[in-house]
Amino acid sequence: MDIALPSGVVMSLILAPILLVLVVFILYFYFSLRKRGKEIIKERAEATRRIYELAILKELGERVGYSLDVEEILQIITGSLKQFIDYTAVGYVVITPEKVKVNTHIEQSVSHVFLKEMKEKMIASLSALTDQTFDESKLDEAVSGAIVIDEIEQGIGSLFNIPLVISGKVVGVLTVAHIKKGLYKEDDMTILYKITGQASEAVTRLHEVVKIEKGKLNAMVESMQDGVLMIDTEYRVVVANPAIKKIIKFEVDKDINIFDFIDILGGKFDIHGRLEESLVNKKTFVSERIEIDDSFFEIGVYPVIHSMPDGKSQMHGAVVVFNDVTKDVELERVREEFTGMIVHELRSPLDGIKKIIESVVAGKVDKNSGQFDEYVKLIYQGSSSMLELVNDILDLSKLQAGKFEVNKEPSNIREVIENRVSFYKISADVKKVGLESYLDSSLPESANFDPQTVKQILNNFLSNSLKFTSINGSILVSVFVYDPKSHFPEGFDRSRMPVFPEEKDIKVKVPSLCIVVSDTGIGIPAGSIKDLFHTFKQAKLSPTDGENKGTGLGLVIAKGITEAHGGTIGLVSKEGSGTSFFFTIPL
Amino acid sequence: MKKILVIDDDQFFPKTLEATLPKDRYELISAENGEIGLEKLKSEKPDLIILDLMMPKLDGTAFLKRLQEDKDLPKVPILVSSNLSSVKKISDVMSMGVVGYVIKSDESLQSIVQDIDRVLGEESAEKE
Repeated sequence: MDIALPSGVVMSLILAPILLVLVVFILYFYFSLRKRGKEIIKERAEATRRIYELAILKELGERVGYSLDVEEILQIITGSLKQFIDYTAVGYVVITPEKVKVNTHIEQSVSHVFLKEMKEKMIASLSALTDQTFDESKLDEAVSGAIVIDEIEQGIGSLFNIPLVISGKVVGVLTVAHIKKGLYKEDDMTILYKITGQASEAVTRLHEVVKIEKGKLNAMVESMQDGVLMIDTEYRVVVANPAIKKIIKFEVDKDINIFDFIDILGGKFDIHGRLEESLVNKKTFVSERIEIDDSFFEIGVYPVIHSMPDGKSQMHGAVVVFNDVTKDVELERVREEFTGMIVHELRSPLDGIKKIIESVVAGKVDKNSGQFDEYVKLIYQGSSSMLELVNDILDLSKLQAGKFEVNKEPSNIREVIENRVSFYKISADVKKVGLESYLDSSLPESANFDPQTVKQILNNFLSNSLKFTSINGSILVSVFVYDPKSHFPEGFDRSRMPVFPEEKDIKVKVPSLCIVVSDTGIGIPAGSIKDLFHTFKQAKLSPTDGENKGTGLGLVIAKGITEAHGGTIGLVSKEGSGTSFFFTIPL
Repeated sequence: MKKILVIDDDQFFPKTLEATLPKDRYELISAENGEIGLEKLKSEKPDLIILDLMMPKLDGTAFLKRLQEDKDLPKVPILVSSNLSSVKKISDVMSMGVVGYVIKSDESLQSIVQDIDRVLGEESAEKE
């Protein structure tokens, strides 16, 4: 059976689900649109924040520039914060070398209680981050901005801290506070993190650069032989290198301050006065020689002024440099002594000759007497010794100027030796001293050397030996070829003289002619040997070096001649036994 | 007759001085270095020493020091005669109790004899 239903019912039965679906759709779209709208608003806020963030970062970048002053950077950050964070007060705490600075800026009036709480929170945060405690008395506090009104009873509602890290070390904390509760979201903190992070990074990079440069500079100053002290405009020591501490006998590892310098230098050098002059009048000062513990210094004080690109200049402090001139003073003294000695050596025979002539002119001497002959001999000796000295000085000045020339030519060493030995034989016989020569069979017929200057060396060696060898003593001139590999020639007898050079004494690299003048004289004290071949030092020796005096210039000249031949010179001596002087000429 | 001890390694000086000194008043003894000088000071007991400075073995300055240290040595006036002319050297030596300093080359033999006369004259005047 058919059941008839009214058509309206049928329609509504059909439409109802459709409507339902529609409503659901509408609702869905409505809600989803609303959600999207919210998202858009959120995105827009985000974008705005980003723009702010960028603007601030840019501004920060420009304002921070190349500043290395952490406090200045914190000031710039706190000063720009108002643009995107709402706060009642903003502050920072920063560790400086001298103290801990706490700086708070009040945007809206608050009570002392609020400020105290904020400061405590900042310090607590810094303490926790740095693992240090900060003494209340060392805090340097500053408050700026709106006035403090104690009647306002609101305390801190919201607060957050951002650490400032430079080169991996927490150096300060930035704090933002508000009276309202629950105000600061993570976003606010994030942006501040980013800002401080960026600033930290910039400063850290600059610090690195400065550290490297400072390191280079320090290494340079540290390694300097001159003492260097730098102070800032407040007379604080910026740099004091080890050399300057050593000069004033101050412990190198200890920190030094300007008062140590003032105390130690005392009446010798008015360091404070000179520094003041330098800082105030920008004046440079260089002292006379100042003696500090047997050393001599010239002390320079210079202002340190930095010229800016804009033409202005900034005073940074002053530098004191202790320049050690001890060696110059010593050299000057030795030179003076040397000149004094030369003058004395010339004056004595000249004066003697003059006095003899004075006596003769005064008629005190009978021209036919033996005394007269003696005087003539004395005049001859005096003038000869002067001439010798003048020639030596001339040779020496040529040597020192590098203008001493030797004319090397094929020559026979045997002839040269025989010539000199026969020349000195007369004097040796008079002194009753034996003089012989030993010419080894290893000697070549001809070698390349300057016979004239080699004779000069032999003259010096032989006259020295004659001077220092007493009656019945002996002198031997040995000449042979010395080979650095096989050493002395085969069958060579080193034991003929009591003191003779050994292998270690003859330092040659190629086979060489070796000429040794040995004597049985008084010998030379070990302490004096070292200085014998040095020009000025020898000056001191001469007056006491035995029975006969001399300027000692001959040995210095002999050394010069040998070196001009590419050879070596030396001596071995034993006090009381004898001496061997030797020189070599490469073949 | 006064005895003069000349301590000098220079051969000219004692010889020329001896020729110039009036032989009736002075006798000259010479020593070529400080060591011999000390010996002769003890053995000869001179009235005056003329002392050179630059000498081998014991030089003039060391000789003066020895005299200061050794109280047993006879006290004799000393006239230094040297060719050293540095002001420092002269003042150093003068502070060691010598009666005078003569730069040899600046003085004639005659003036040195006058110096000797003056020193010995004064000495004898004091004693009397």
